[in-house]
Amino acid sequence: MTRLKKLLVANRGEIAVRVIRACRELGIATVAVFSEADREALHVLMADEAYPIGPPPATESYLRIDALVDVARRAGADAVHPGYGFLAENAGFAEACAAAGLTFVGPPPAAMRAMGDKTAARTLARDLKVPMVPGTLEALRSDDEARTRAREIGYPVMLKAALGGGGKGMRLVRQEAELAEALRAARSEAGAAFGDASLYLERAVAEPRHVEIQVLADAHGGIVHLGERECSIQRRHQKLIEESPSPCVDAELRARMGEAACRVAAAAGYVNAGTVEFLVDAERRFYFLEMNTRLQVEHPVTEMVTGLDLVREQLRIAAGEPLGYRQGDVTWTGWAIECRINAEDPFGGWLPSPGTITGLRAASGPGVREDSGAYEGYTVPRWYDTLLAKLIVWGADRPTALARMLRALAEYQVVGVRTTIPALARIIAHPDFQAGRLSTALLERILPALRPSEGRFASIAVIAAVLAEYERGRRPAPAVAADGAPPSRWRWSAPSGWSRP
Amino acid sequence: MKYVATRAGTSDVVEISGGDGRYRVTLGDEVWDVDARLTAQGIYSLLIGGVSYVADVVDRDGTCLVDVGGESYEVLVEEQTRWIIRTRGGAAGAAHGQTLTAPLPGKITHIAVRPGDRVRAGDTLVVIEAMKMENEFKASAAGTVAEVRVQPGQAVNPGDVLLVVES
Repeated sequence: MTRLKKLLVANRGEIAVRVIRACRELGIATVAVFSEADREALHVLMADEAYPIGPPPATESYLRIDALVDVARRAGADAVHPGYGFLAENAGFAEACAAAGLTFVGPPPAAMRAMGDKTAARTLARDLKVPMVPGTLEALRSDDEARTRAREIGYPVMLKAALGGGGKGMRLVRQEAELAEALRAARSEAGAAFGDASLYLERAVAEPRHVEIQVLADAHGGIVHLGERECSIQRRHQKLIEESPSPCVDAELRARMGEAACRVAAAAGYVNAGTVEFLVDAERRFYFLEMNTRLQVEHPVTEMVTGLDLVREQLRIAAGEPLGYRQGDVTWTGWAIECRINAEDPFGGWLPSPGTITGLRAASGPGVREDSGAYEGYTVPRWYDTLLAKLIVWGADRPTALARMLRALAEYQVVGVRTTIPALARIIAHPDFQAGRLSTALLERILPALRPSEGRFASIAVIAAVLAEYERGRRPAPAVAADGAPPSRWRWSAPSGWSRP
Repeated sequence: MKYVATRAGTSDVVEISGGDGRYRVTLGDEVWDVDARLTAQGIYSLLIGGVSYVADVVDRDGTCLVDVGGESYEVLVEEQTRWIIRTRGGAAGAAHGQTLTAPLPGKITHIAVRPGDRVRAGDTLVVIEAMKMENEFKASAAGTVAEVRVQPGQAVNPGDVLLVVES
């Protein structure tokens, strides 16, 4: 058995921090990489070693396989963790690591390829008799074929990119008259996003839930599922709130979905942590969607209810260790919810809000976990995704967890950049969310009614604003520059307030 | 110190006094005693009548963005004199018909007319220095200057009659 001694984290932000933490607990040394925009990022501060890999654009830094393998070799690393995003599902990167003698913490390249092609994955699922949304298995060859198949399947249908992900190249087609234009738009989007314009068709499920199953497989044939994550709260196919368990899944459904997920993973020769995504319809029928061959952003909710550290399990599996437990040993306790705190302005069209975090007070206290890549004084670069931190809470049951999440969101203070926090609090408090009436359409339906303020604290806001202006005028030298940035980059202690207790 | 706070299109005069963490704030006909501490850059703790608030205040393009109680507000805060200059200074001179009153505290630096002068709309009447800026006040209608009640160098307060123009 190969013990891992030094691991390169081929990622940035909160997930790089997450991996570094697991490594430290296991006594594995860590190597961070950073682009020119990330010299001050938290993962660079936390790793044992850190090396530059290029300019800010990801294509010139975090996506450069040669640079990453070169740093790993020079630093004497024996393993690489890809995190999620960037190169996490790139079989070429996994192969390059193997060729350089590095242990890749993820599935074998063949399994990655088998699941990366969505039509191939659907064919595999069909052969395994795993339920699927009725649709085509092969890429559509022509508009005529699309029209014929759509009639067979029955409208409404969903057009999807064969190499798709993140909602790109997806189009809902309600009736045949919309088909030609939808084909054109989806092909163009898929071609631009994935370099392949191939599309397939599925019957559109009305108000579906997005429920995914976490699986863990070792290199010795051991495989278990860790139950489901409910990920229906999405905005433009980007998840915003996740929970485990799902309000719509009971022990019997969990066992059936888990068994189906394990069957798909085993058939693909899958090893390490992976996620099988399903749609669940109003009658609680589930349909295979696809398999994600990496650690998911929302993995912490599974960790909170199973007590397993998924990154630790990934590292153990990559080192060749057997799981050491069977399906019957996996138990679930309580309820966990995760909210994604993104640097976006939810009341300003959800536009990214890069800038310097001048003030930060994270939530803490009972049952609260924060996986963050930010700190007070940190400047959020404009080059990467907007995820700042994940706020995760655990409670004995769903009502307890929801109340705890509202409490934690109210505690969480971020100054300097706009965040999704106020929108998250309103979604959690929404009657449909409270009642567990979830679907992927819920968020788009309730978003227009989300208002920045109800005016309850208008007088307090005016007093605070006037106070700030009054004190700014009284101070001989402003402690805050005109752009809101701290006066000095070398501010190690707390800022000099105008009155301190 | 008097400010004008503009929120959601409504402007209110806010008077504030005190310092070192303890303030008296007059907003409309309400008076608030505020114990305020800056606990981190932009994060204020306010105790108002025993109620504890945490308000995040950040400046964006001259407007205060305030997050409090899970709600977000945009508040434009200006010193009252600056607000008067911005909203009334310059063009809107002879406000009440023919009588030009000082809209803000300041010092008369120039008087452009004498009694008996005929003026047209837009002609400069007086210049008041306030907020380290020279603010021209102009005739809003044609007429004849009947009276000039101030002299250059004189300090004026809001409401003081500066001159009278008869049509």
